[in-house]
Amino acid sequence: MKIINLKLKESVKVALEFDNVLPELLYDKNIQQINDIIIYQGNKERFLSELFEIKISGDAENPDDCKIVLDGDLHRIKYIGNNMAHGTIIANGDVDLHVAAMMSGGHIIVNGDAESYAGREMTGGLLEIKGNVKEYCGSSYIGEWRGMNGGTIIIGGSCGKQLADCMLSGNIYIKGDCDILAGIHMSGGYIEIEGNVTSWPGGQMKKGVIVIKGNVGEVLQGFDYQESICHPLINGKYHIGQYDLYIGDSTTRGKGQLWIKR
Amino acid sequence: MEYIIKGGIVFDPLNHIDGEQKDILIKDGFITDKVSPKAKILDVTGKLVMPGGVDLHSHIAGPKLATGRLYRPEDTRRGIKTFPKGSVQGFETGFSIPSCPTTGYRYSKMGYTTVTEAAVPPLEAKHAHEEIDSIPNLDIPTLTLFGNNWFMLKYVKENNLEDLTLFISKWLKLAKGYGIKIVNPCGSEAWGWGKNVNGLDDPEPHWHVTGREVITALTKVNEKLGLPHSVHVHTNDLGHPGNYETTLETFDCVKHIKKNKNVNRNQVIHCTHVQFHAYKGTSWRDVSSGATELIDYINKSKHMTCDIGQITFDETTTMTADAPMEYDLFRLTGLKWANKDIEVETASGLIPSIYSMKAPVSAFQWAVGLEFFLGIKDLWKIGLTTDSPNGGPFIRYPRLLTWLMSNQKLNDMLDNQVHNWATNRTDITSYDREYSWNDVAIVTRANTAKILGLTDRGHLGIGAKADVSIYDIDVNDFDTTLMSNAEIIEKKLLNALYTIKDGEIVVKDGQITNLVKSKHLWCNVVGLEEEEEQLIRKIKPTFNKYYTIKYENYGVTNHYIKPDTRFDINCNKQG
Repeated sequence: MKIINLKLKESVKVALEFDNVLPELLYDKNIQQINDIIIYQGNKERFLSELFEIKISGDAENPDDCKIVLDGDLHRIKYIGNNMAHGTIIANGDVDLHVAAMMSGGHIIVNGDAESYAGREMTGGLLEIKGNVKEYCGSSYIGEWRGMNGGTIIIGGSCGKQLADCMLSGNIYIKGDCDILAGIHMSGGYIEIEGNVTSWPGGQMKKGVIVIKGNVGEVLQGFDYQESICHPLINGKYHIGQYDLYIGDSTTRGKGQLWIKR
Repeated sequence: MEYIIKGGIVFDPLNHIDGEQKDILIKDGFITDKVSPKAKILDVTGKLVMPGGVDLHSHIAGPKLATGRLYRPEDTRRGIKTFPKGSVQGFETGFSIPSCPTTGYRYSKMGYTTVTEAAVPPLEAKHAHEEIDSIPNLDIPTLTLFGNNWFMLKYVKENNLEDLTLFISKWLKLAKGYGIKIVNPCGSEAWGWGKNVNGLDDPEPHWHVTGREVITALTKVNEKLGLPHSVHVHTNDLGHPGNYETTLETFDCVKHIKKNKNVNRNQVIHCTHVQFHAYKGTSWRDVSSGATELIDYINKSKHMTCDIGQITFDETTTMTADAPMEYDLFRLTGLKWANKDIEVETASGLIPSIYSMKAPVSAFQWAVGLEFFLGIKDLWKIGLTTDSPNGGPFIRYPRLLTWLMSNQKLNDMLDNQVHNWATNRTDITSYDREYSWNDVAIVTRANTAKILGLTDRGHLGIGAKADVSIYDIDVNDFDTTLMSNAEIIEKKLLNALYTIKDGEIVVKDGQITNLVKSKHLWCNVVGLEEEEEQLIRKIKPTFNKYYTIKYENYGVTNHYIKPDTRFDINCNKQG
């Protein structure tokens, strides 16, 4: 396996754009070629070596054999793993907007928090964020009506507003709490939230499943209570406890499932 | 500036030049027969030379475009293209609804020099002209919407053609419009109360006027005034299975009206995007093509022309003053929908549309459009359009031409790529026509200019505007019928070797080299000014009662339309 360590030399104020630092683009490059990779900082072009200490170990025959490890103060690095299809990226720290946006394969681990639009419009692969994420995780981008369409997102902490906006398929697991409108406009896929939800999960959802194990502030009126089931089988797994099933959102003639633990 | 375009293979159908090697001389913005020795020579030996492209129906400027851009930022992002510092052109944005400058860049690169904005409500005309101001390198006539206007409905109801004539004449001046556009007559007005009309003889619920009455009255007025273009009609029932009968009735309802003798066009009615109006059946389950019947009518008639509104298999944005139809589409697709009421003039709506090769309805609509292109015998009756962006964005014109120029390509699409509704529900397989370069020049330039009544363009005769497009295609060594050449044709037609606008090179090697301000083309009817003022005095109280703005703030003043090309129409001339 080829491991590429990139350590940010010092904190930056203007965000860096990392959309061309991907395993599939670096796995066959030598140290000199990686040094010369150009990234954008605002509207300025910068060589990767200007900003990062770069170390390489091992070799990779294909992009799946390549791992990029990011260290330092990463909180102003945007688009980590943007359009990624292969390999692994590990970010040891908080990251900026659009991590794993439009990702179609591979594995990204963020050992910290992530800003908004984490995993937006992703179609495959696995995104793990050990800390919290802000708004629009797994959602569509502004204006678009097709959000996450495959892959898996696991959030260790809590999540901001409008989780999985316009989600079509895939799985999202939130270990912590979630702000308003989780699963809004959702038309497929599975969301499991272990903590509390502020209010209005599944607004205007058409299909798909949301499971909430904590408390919910308010359920929208477009959801009709169906029944209460003990240890229901949802998405191929038994959920221990008593769950209420709601179907909605009737404002969009939706048939989505909202399961809330009593 | 003087130029000699040397050695090109020229296609100029209006002057009966079909692929002759000849020089074109340009002086002071016009085609001429003599230039000074200082003239610059452009050696384009063997290359394809045609008049500048003329698009007779597109949606490129106005509030509906602005709404589209606002509510579809994903479309804006899709077409982003940056250019190095120092480029003449700026960055491009948008795919189906490009930004104003991008519209100009892309049309110019395709060799187009005149593009018609096909639907402008007078109330929003200022906005449309402001947007035209931001589009470079084109001449842009705008068609003014009249088919649902309250004043028009009143005069039609009273059968008062005298006042209707004055009203149209004055309103064209106010909107700085070039011609009369009718969209779903009476239907868009009914939409103000959440309704639509069904067919040509279904009366509007409040005015009790029918589409037939509106179309015939406005056609009579159009011919009485002697406007260069005929009425431009988007017929009722767009997109509804079974609508071909309404379309046939619309074609037929004005055949008795005599054309004004002073105009250069042949038609008294131009029916637009006929593809959307050519469906048999009672629902989308049993829909089939009604194109054969319509083609048969068009082939036999002399009083009408049409453009097609071809589907191009893209994710695009539909936008039209036919607001009830947009609502139907919203009910069908559930995609995000925008709706707008234009006070007492019309309505409008927008919704994204995804035309997929694998979707039965899209494949069917695509084949119906091609039936018209291949079935109408006299190409001087049709113009090439996609009703951009409704059927697909205008940058797909070259791709559409590859389907028309190569049977191999078309058959490959039918056999291997598109859903079988294309072949099962239409007669597309019964046609084997292949377009020549001369045919292409007719449907994209010569005839579109003729239908619009623009005699100064669409050809390369002495005295014509020096709007010329030259493509890097060696005409005599290039087989357009081969499927393997389709991609090359598309690429070359998208990126002209030269586009010359008013005698200035604006595109070279597919790159914008010069930006000139677009001209606003409009018609000024002379000889009725006094009567128009009397009419305004009569209707001003009603105007100020029902509009949200005062009459004094309504018209497009001259500073909005600089530079312009004004066509003075003398309506007193015996027609």
